[in-house]
Order: sequence, then C-alpha cells, then structure tokens
Amino acid sequence: MSASRTLLLVASLLVAGVSVPMAAQDAHAPVEAVPGEPAPHTDIITPHITDSYFLEVPSLFPPFAKEVCIGRLVSEHECEALWKPVRIAGVVIDLSPTKHVVMMLFAAVLVSVVLIVAAQAHKRHTHAVGHPKGFAAGIEAMVLYMRNEVILPNVGHHGNGFVPFLLTMFFFILTANLLGLVPFGATATGNIAVTATLAIITFLVVEVAGMRAQGMGYLSTIFYWNTELPLYMRIPMFLIMSPVEMIGKLTKPFALAIRLFANMTAGHIVVLALIGLIFTFAGPISTAPFLMAVAIMMLELFVAFLQAFIFTLLASVFIGQIREAHH
Amino acid sequence: MRPLLRSSLLVLAMPSLAAAAEGGGKVDLLSPNGGVMFWTLLIFILLLVVLSRFAFKPLIAAVEARENALEAALASAKRDREEAAKLLAEQLANLEAARAEAQRFIAEGRATSEKLKLSMLEETKAAQQELLDRARRDIDGEKSRAIAELRREAVDLALAGAGKLIERNLDDAGNRKLVEDFLASIPATGAKK
Repeated sequence: MSASRTLLLVASLLVAGVSVPMAAQDAHAPVEAVPGEPAPHTDIITPHITDSYFLEVPSLFPPFAKEVCIGRLVSEHECEALWKPVRIAGVVIDLSPTKHVVMMLFAAVLVSVVLIVAAQAHKRHTHAVGHPKGFAAGIEAMVLYMRNEVILPNVGHHGNGFVPFLLTMFFFILTANLLGLVPFGATATGNIAVTATLAIITFLVVEVAGMRAQGMGYLSTIFYWNTELPLYMRIPMFLIMSPVEMIGKLTKPFALAIRLFANMTAGHIVVLALIGLIFTFAGPISTAPFLMAVAIMMLELFVAFLQAFIFTLLASVFIGQIREAHH
Repeated sequence: MRPLLRSSLLVLAMPSLAAAAEGGGKVDLLSPNGGVMFWTLLIFILLLVVLSRFAFKPLIAAVEARENALEAALASAKRDREEAAKLLAEQLANLEAARAEAQRFIAEGRATSEKLKLSMLEETKAAQQELLDRARRDIDGEKSRAIAELRREAVDLALAGAGKLIERNLDDAGNRKLVEDFLASIPATGAKK
C-alpha cells in the first residue's frame, strides 16, 4: 500500500518534471531552430508565474500536458477573455475566469472537502473513543496549534470570534501555496490581485475589530491627539503625526500582500530557472541544477507553510494591536 | 563551453528574454487585475462561511467539549482527593479519641478495681474481726455459763456431800459452816465480766 503510493508519487513527479517545460515550449510555439545560430530561447518562466486564460491539464499523450482555454479560443495558441469587461461604478472590471481564479476555486473546494471530512471524522471519533484518530487528529493538531498558540495569545481576550476568519485565511493560503507546487498547478497566491485582496480583507477586519473594541477611541489610532502635550505643541504634532499614523495603517496590509506575492513568485522563478538550466546544460553537468532544483523545491514546500503561517500570525498581531491600542 | 555560455546568457538576459517571448509585451506582475480581486473576495467569503459553519464550528466545539470534560474531571478528582484527605483526618482524629477513651476506661477500671479490692479487703477484715469477736463473745458466754453451771453443780455436789454429812451429824452446824467457807474461798472466775 505504502510502497505503491510512493511509486505513484515518484512517477507523477517524474512526469511533471518532464512535462511542465515541454508543455510550456509546446504552447508558446518556439521559433524554428535555424542552423548555425544559437538555439532560440523559450520563456518557460513568465507563463508559469503570470495569470492566463489557459489551464494546464494532464494528458495521456506526450508531452502529457495540454492547455485548455477557459475563455474564447481565438486561434490555436490564443485565448481571449470569456466575457466583455463590465463597468461597475466607473471601474472597468474583467470578470472572466482565469487560471488563478480556477486554482483558487479548486483550492477552496479542496480545503472545504478536507476540513469538513476531517471535522466529521473528528466528531465521529470523539463520540466513539473520546478522541480523534489519524487524519482528523492531524487536522485537529494544526487547528489547535493555530488557535491556541498563534491566534488567541495575539488577538487577546475574547478573541474566539476571530478564530474562524484567521483559520480560514491560514488554510486557504496554505492550500493555494501548495497547489502551486503540484504538477499542472498554478500559484494563485503568486498573483498580486489575490494577495492584495486577502490583505484588504485583513485590513478591514483589523479596522472593524478596532472600532468594535475601542468605540470612539478608535479615532486615536488615526488622528494623533496627545492630550499630555500643551496646545501649541499638540496641533503641530497632530498635523505631522496623523499622516504617519494613516500611512502606518496602510503599510501593514501592503506588506502582507507584497510578502506573500513576492515569496511565492520568487520561489517559482528560482525553481523554474534551475529546471531550465537542466535542459540548457543537457549533459552530465545537469545533475547540479537538478539537485539544486530538488533542494529549492523542498524549501518551497516549507515556504508554502511558512508564508501561510506568517500571514495568519501577522493578521492576529495586527488585530491584537488595534484592540488594545492606547486610548 | 557552449552550453555554459548559453545558460549564463539565459540567466543574465532573463527579464528581457521573458519580455521578448511575450511578443514584446511587458511582464507586468504588480498591477492587480480587478476581476481576479473580485473572484478572490467572493471565493474567500464563501470559503469563510462554509468552513466556519461546517468545519471549524464542530471541530472547535468538540475540542472545547473535551477540554471542558477534562477540566471537570480534574476538578472532581481534586475535590475527591480533598474530601478523602478530610475524611482521613477525621478518621485519624476519631481513632485518636477512641484510643484516649480506651486508655481512660482502662485507667478508670484499674482505679475502680483497686478501690474495690481495698474496700473488699476492708470488709473482709471487718467481717473476720466481727466473726472473731462473736466467737470470743460466744466463748466467754459459754465459759461463764459453764462456770455458773459448774458452780451450781459444785453447789449441788457440795449440797449432796453436805446432805450426807448432815445425815450423819444433823446438828453439826460447825461442819456446814466449814463447807460454806470453803466454797466462798474459791475465786469466782466466771464472774469476771
């Protein structure tokens, strides 16, 4: 059972390692090699880290991957937006589904199924033997660690209301990160639109938490009005410090968005560059980039967990900060 | 040499090559797409609702129930232990009291028996004394009665002797007086009391 599973994993990894660059080459129609001149270069990195209307799916025939257009197919290698951009309140928005939207949806469905199944198993086991077993116990360990060691200590007292939001954030980002590492996957969290939206949601949650916790005292987190200063100092300080406070407020979600986006994108660029080097060398020396690619891939696996954890941790810290900010 | 040169060129020229491969278009990573933002928002909110309703709520409820059960078990164990300790102390105190009482009983019994022994001894002695006295009194009475009897007998004997004498010399008053004098000369031991 375990051996066959491992074999399957190795086989799929092998197929993926071969198929991704080949598929990319196939899709982007490399210029025909002209004898005598250096071989034409094909960009395998940009299509991988940017969004598109193509979806990469497994295929039975070499190169074991093919691209499926999820928009309107214009020609063989051109795919346009499915819908015309709509204008909402003066802003033109293209609501057509893209690769990253599909990946996000997949991540959401995957994480829902996994967590709901685990929760059901957890309930069943708790009824039967008093404690969860197997996979449910693992999920419970993760949830409990995030809840008891990360969220509740940082959010502060009565922080139970924030637990579902922060846990959802954690598991969603984690799943999206991990989906970027599996064959045929794409990293939705390597898209600045996705990370920015998650950061904006976090920002809104943080500010609403501050308003609810502090009432009118929330204004003091925007406007600097220090009553300990004499009036002739208070007004200049107000004029100088208030913009600083506001910028400080906006910097936090900005940093969240950029951190997640940059980590995901950078890791993939490095892995793809190393994979590209394997094919560029095309000889015994390819072993070096191959081993490096494996090592960076393992690092990416760690980073996928780390970035989800950091996003959740910082969101908890921001909520905790604003809830007990100075009055 | 050639592959190495090629690869270093590739690495160095990566950004421009990337741009070139896209048909001259710039690779724009930092401008967010409004549509993707909208979908992210929608997907995240749906996920939040679904997960908090169907995954985290039962999970955390179960965990909290277990935590509460554990806490209750701990509290009850502590209570039981305290109760047991209290009972033990009570038991020990009872035992101590019982022992002290037993000791007191023993001492009391010993004192009582001592007293009883003494009084019984006293009583016995008194009874013995009384018995002795009575015996002595009886003996004395008997003795005086025997003496009196003896004396009466002696008188009778003397009288009988005297009668014989008198039969011989009836008028011999001088003889009678002789006997009388003799009798009077015997000391009256029975009349000691």
